[in-house]
Amino acid sequence: MSAFKSVLKPIVSIALLAGAAMLPHLAVAADPIKIGAINPFSGPLALYGVEVTRGYELAVDQANAAGGILGRKIDIVRGDASTPQQGIATVEQLVAKDKVDLFVGTYTSPVSNAASDAASRYNKLYWETGALAQNLTERGLPNYIRMSPNGGDFALLSVTAVRELVAPALKKNLKDVKVWIEHEDSLYGTSIAQTQKRLLEALGAKVVGVGAHSMRSIDLNDTVLRAKQANPDVLIQTGYVPDGNLLLRTARDQGFKPGAILMVGVGDTPETLQSVGAPSIEGVLVVSYPRTDISDKYGPGAKGFLAAYRAKYKSDPIASQSMTAYVGMQMLFDTIRAAGSLDVAKIRSAAAAMDKPNGTYATGYGLKFDKNFQNVRALPVTAQWQSGKMVTVFPIDASPVGATLKPLTRN
Amino acid sequence: MDQILNVLVFGILLGGIYGLVSIGLNLIFGVVRIVNFAQGELVMFGMYGSYYAYTYLGLNPYLAALLVAPLVGLIGMAIQRLVIQPLHNEPNMQIFATFGLLMMFQNIMLAISRGEAVSIGGDAGAAVLALGDMKISVVRLVTFIATTLITVGLHLFLSRTMAGKSIRAVTQDKRSARVMGINVERTFLYTFGLGAGLAGLAGVLLTPIYSITPTVGGNFILAAFAVVVLGGLGSVWGAYIGGLIVGIVEAFAGYYIDPSLKSAIWFVIFLIVLILRPSGLFGQVGAEEVGFREQH
Repeated sequence: MSAFKSVLKPIVSIALLAGAAMLPHLAVAADPIKIGAINPFSGPLALYGVEVTRGYELAVDQANAAGGILGRKIDIVRGDASTPQQGIATVEQLVAKDKVDLFVGTYTSPVSNAASDAASRYNKLYWETGALAQNLTERGLPNYIRMSPNGGDFALLSVTAVRELVAPALKKNLKDVKVWIEHEDSLYGTSIAQTQKRLLEALGAKVVGVGAHSMRSIDLNDTVLRAKQANPDVLIQTGYVPDGNLLLRTARDQGFKPGAILMVGVGDTPETLQSVGAPSIEGVLVVSYPRTDISDKYGPGAKGFLAAYRAKYKSDPIASQSMTAYVGMQMLFDTIRAAGSLDVAKIRSAAAAMDKPNGTYATGYGLKFDKNFQNVRALPVTAQWQSGKMVTVFPIDASPVGATLKPLTRN
Repeated sequence: MDQILNVLVFGILLGGIYGLVSIGLNLIFGVVRIVNFAQGELVMFGMYGSYYAYTYLGLNPYLAALLVAPLVGLIGMAIQRLVIQPLHNEPNMQIFATFGLLMMFQNIMLAISRGEAVSIGGDAGAAVLALGDMKISVVRLVTFIATTLITVGLHLFLSRTMAGKSIRAVTQDKRSARVMGINVERTFLYTFGLGAGLAGLAGVLLTPIYSITPTVGGNFILAAFAVVVLGGLGSVWGAYIGGLIVGIVEAFAGYYIDPSLKSAIWFVIFLIVLILRPSGLFGQVGAEEVGFREQH
C-alpha cells in the first residue's frame, strides 16, 4: 500500500498542479458571452424595443439553464438607440466599455443600418432579428445576417392574402378585385406599397388608387373619402399604430366598408381593438409576425414561449415581434454551435450551411440564407379580428385547431 | 363636386381641432411672449388625464375636464413660476427651457405608460350623425362646439372682466400696465396657468378621437404655431379663424389635390400671410414687434 501511495502521491500532485495551471484558462472559458442588444429603450418606440429584448432574454434564460453556448453562459447588455447617431455611439460604447462579443437588434431599420455598419468596423457580428428595410442585407456587409422577414416578405404575404383569402371570400376572380393601397409616406410604407402595387398588377388585380399620408396625421377624412370614391373591394394599409387606428376609425365614421380591410405590420394590438371598437374591427385582416396562437404543427414551441413569457413578465406579449426575437436568438445560438466559435467569418460560413426546414422554430420559421444572408424561411402570417381576438387564419396550416376565416365584410 | 359640402364640413371640424389646441398657445405666446414648445405635451397630459379618469375612476371622458384642466393649469403655473420666471432676462434660454420640459414630460409619460398607446375611442367615439350622404362624427362636432364656446368665453373674459383687461393691458404695454398698478408677474403667472389649463382642456376633448401616446402632442403643435401666427398673436378670434382656415384648406387640398401635399399647401398660404401681413390676420399691427422689444 505504501508503495502504491508513494506512486500515487506524485501523480496526484502533478494532477493538482496541472489543474491549478489550467485554472486561469478555465476562468477565461467561464467568462460569459456578452451580447449587445441594440434597440430603442427610450423614446416613442421604447415599448417595442423592450418587447423584442424580452424575447431575447427568454431564449438566453433557456440556453443558460441548459449550460450555455460553447460552455459559456450568456449575458445581454442593453444598448439604447432610437436614432442612427445613437446607434453608432452605443455600438462604440458596448465594444469599448462593455467588451461585447457580438450584437443583436433592431426594432427600427435606420438604427440597424447605422449600428451594423459601426459594428462591422470592429469586426463584430450583427445578427438582425427585426429591421424590415429590404436593402439592409443588400449592402453586402460582411458581419450582417438577418433571420427575420423583410419588407418584401410583408408585401408579398399581403398580396398572397388578397389572392388566397380575400378574392375567394368575396367570390371574385382576382382579375376583378379592385384594390386601394394606402401607406404612410416614409420609406417604410412607401417601399412596401410600391412592391404591393407591382405584385398585384402582375397578378392582374386592379389597383384603383395609391394614397400616402403622414404617420402623424391628425385627420384622414380626405384619404378615406378618396378611397371610398374609388369603391375598392380591398383596402390595404401599411403604416404605424396611430395612423392605422385613425384610418380605421375614420373609415368607420365615414361608413366606408370595402369588402375587406388588410392592415400590414400593425393593427393587431389590444389598443387597436380599444381604439376602433370590437364591432368595427370584426373581420379585419392583419399581416404581421407569427403570433402565439399558431398551431403546434406549424410553429412547435409557440405555446412554450407564451408560458415562459407569462411566467417571467406576468403578462401576455404586447407585440408579436417578441416571439420572432426569441426565435432569432435561438437561431443565433444554433449557428454559433455549428460554427464552434464567435468569429464572424466562421459564423458566416456556418450560417451559409444552415438548412433547417420550415416549422423548425416556434414562429414556424426555418433557417436557410440566400447569398445576401437573408433568411428565406421566415414568413409573416395573416390573422383576423374575430370577436375581439386575433386569430391566425393564413397560411391555413398555421391556424389554431378549429379556427376558420370569418366573413370579411363588416356591419 | 358632389363631395364639396362633405369636404367643407370635415374641414370645419378639423379647423375646430386646430383652433382648440391653438387657443392656450396663443394666450401664452401672445401675452407672456413665451414660445412654449411644451404646449403639445400639456395637451398630451390632458389626454392621459382624461384617459386615466375614465379608466380608473369611471368618469365620463368629458366630465374629466373639471378635474384635469385645472390640474394642467396648475402644472402651467408651476412651469411659469419655477422655470420661466427665473429666466425672465434671457428669452432664448426660456425657449430652450420649454424644449427641455418637452423632453422631460414625454419621458415621464413614457416611464408611466411604458410607451404603450392607449385609447377610449371604441365606445366613446363611435357615434355618427348622418345627413344624407354626409357623415359627421359626433365627438368632432362636440369638439367644434366646445372650441366655439371657449373662444366666446375667453373673448368675454378678456373684454369684460378686470382680470381680462389687465391681461390685455400687459399684452399691449407691460411698462405702462405696471405703472397703472397691475402686477405684471402675477398676470403672467395666471395667464400661463390659463393657457396651460386650456391645453389640458383641449386634450380632454380630443381624447375620444385619437390614440394617446407620450409623443402625441407633437402632432398638433406645429400646426398650432402656424395657426397662432396666421391668426395673429394674442388675438382670441385669430386662433379660431386661423384654425378654421387651416382646417378647410387642408381638407380641400387633401381631397382634391393630394393628401400628402396638404401640409405644404397650407404652409404656402401661411408664408403668404406672413409676407403680406406679418401681424397675422387678426393681430394688432406692430404687435409682432412687441415680443422682441426690450422688456424690463
